[in-house]
Amino acid sequence: MAQEKRDIWVFSEQPQHAFELLGKGNALSEELGSDLVAFATTSASADEYIRHGADKVILVNHPLLGEFQVDTYTDALSELANEHKPEAILIGATRNGLELAPRLAERLKTGCVTEVTRIELDADKKFLLMDRVTMGGNLVETHISRSKPQIATVPKGLFAQSTLNPSHKGQVIVAEPTIKSPTTKLLEKKSKEIKGVKVSDATIIVSFGRGVRKKEDMIMVEDFAKAVGGAVGCSRPIAEDLRWLPEEQYIGLSGQKVNPKLYLACGISGQIQHITGIRNSKVIVSINNDPKAPIFEFSDYGIVGDLYVILPILTDAVRQLAKN
Amino acid sequence: MVNIIVLVKQVLQTADLKIDKTSKAVVTQGVPRVVSETDKNALEEAIRIKEKHGGKITAISMGPPEAKEALREALAMGADEAVLLTDPRFEGSDSHAVASVLAAAVTKIIDYDLIICGAYSEDMFAFQVGPRLAEMCNLPQFTYATKINLEGTKIIVERDLENERQIVEGKLPCLVSVVREINEPRLPTLMAIMASSKKPTSIWSADDVRLSESELGYNGSLDELLRSAVSSGERKRIILEGKAKDAVFKLTRALQQEGVLKG
Repeated sequence: MAQEKRDIWVFSEQPQHAFELLGKGNALSEELGSDLVAFATTSASADEYIRHGADKVILVNHPLLGEFQVDTYTDALSELANEHKPEAILIGATRNGLELAPRLAERLKTGCVTEVTRIELDADKKFLLMDRVTMGGNLVETHISRSKPQIATVPKGLFAQSTLNPSHKGQVIVAEPTIKSPTTKLLEKKSKEIKGVKVSDATIIVSFGRGVRKKEDMIMVEDFAKAVGGAVGCSRPIAEDLRWLPEEQYIGLSGQKVNPKLYLACGISGQIQHITGIRNSKVIVSINNDPKAPIFEFSDYGIVGDLYVILPILTDAVRQLAKN
Repeated sequence: MVNIIVLVKQVLQTADLKIDKTSKAVVTQGVPRVVSETDKNALEEAIRIKEKHGGKITAISMGPPEAKEALREALAMGADEAVLLTDPRFEGSDSHAVASVLAAAVTKIIDYDLIICGAYSEDMFAFQVGPRLAEMCNLPQFTYATKINLEGTKIIVERDLENERQIVEGKLPCLVSVVREINEPRLPTLMAIMASSKKPTSIWSADDVRLSESELGYNGSLDELLRSAVSSGERKRIILEGKAKDAVFKLTRALQQEGVLKG
């Protein structure tokens, strides 16, 4: 029997996300002594993936792959995976990636672990250990897949991007899988207008919860965010129940998972749901008038006090620092 | 007339879950079991479609016998019939094994135009069952729906992605997964709650959906849960005391020392 190749494949329709997958994929393929393979739909992106560490790129230049669509991408990736038999496929956990991965896994009759928080090889390098958080953030489950390819979806920001190396060499394999016409047709798309910095990209995030009593009082948080140069985020009830902010700004297990240098939680009680979204922050600060609020357990620095008193003083203090 | 199947999952109220600090286990005792949030949106949307176009709504739930309560709520909201898929042999199912049972059940119902479900469940957030079921049943999938419009056998769905909104067209039969933004689920009236006990509820086991032992539960899963541990987050937990001004001063100084605040 021919020796297994055990290649690690990566796919994201978002190049920046794909670079992060290449970063992790590189570590895994090195441990396995196998190739790191990216999937691309244009030769420009194929070259870019090679400069970001891919040993091989499978290039499928097909008109039906111009726009991400779950049918066509499932067709292409499943046929290629059946032909090349990769060890694992890491897929960027965008909403597109999250609808692709389970459908692809089902077609390949293999397991899939979505929204992983950790991926490592086991001690014998036999399979991937994939962690994910469940039960409202209370449990960390470790999964393995019984079949191959092992498929995981990886949230943005979990892994560092691979380093750009313009002299890195790789092989481009042009493939022509059979792609059927999609069953759905995109009639229209509208970009969302997102005010200011996106929380997923921000290095500083000022976030608020139910401690802000009225919608008008949000200005207090926005002023502080502006002074400190950060993006505004919120807890789940603010976006989903009160709808003061769009869902893109809501941070938590079911919303954005963020990894800023500084995360400031203002008037957020700190349900585990929320904590799960912020656990990768470098420094966490919380302000809450309830000394028993769970958020303090998960903070580096806490101030017990009235948000309506503390925040304006803090805003002034930060403005002064910026001036000096 | 549109025949709609709605997938309903009963979950523990995750906001009420806590970790017992001594036993390091998740405390589930006394935590209420509820219908997963986005599944309520799925039900609401099905009811609105039925109000507009006529038809029938069948709510399906797979779970322990207690999941009957979730179906009762679905019936009270406005579903016409309910099917509870329950069997001790279903225990330990992964997303694939769950989708297999659901696929067998919807195939038994045969005469459906539309399957609606929540995009994710409140306890697992796996986003898997919808797409896996669609693949098994060879149906088009419309995920993250914020609006559904039907014109004959044509369906137009508005979808919410991270950076854009899409309008997508397709044909029935298909599967649609919804997000919470799509609607505000109704609260059933007392009358509706009372009437719901008269609506038909079937209880199906693995045999009723003709699945064999190897397709069920742990045996029928492609994923294996090796272990689970309570989640921990190690932080400094320094409370900055003093009057507001003093505490703020201490904070800005600490953040400068951490290198996360300029000045």
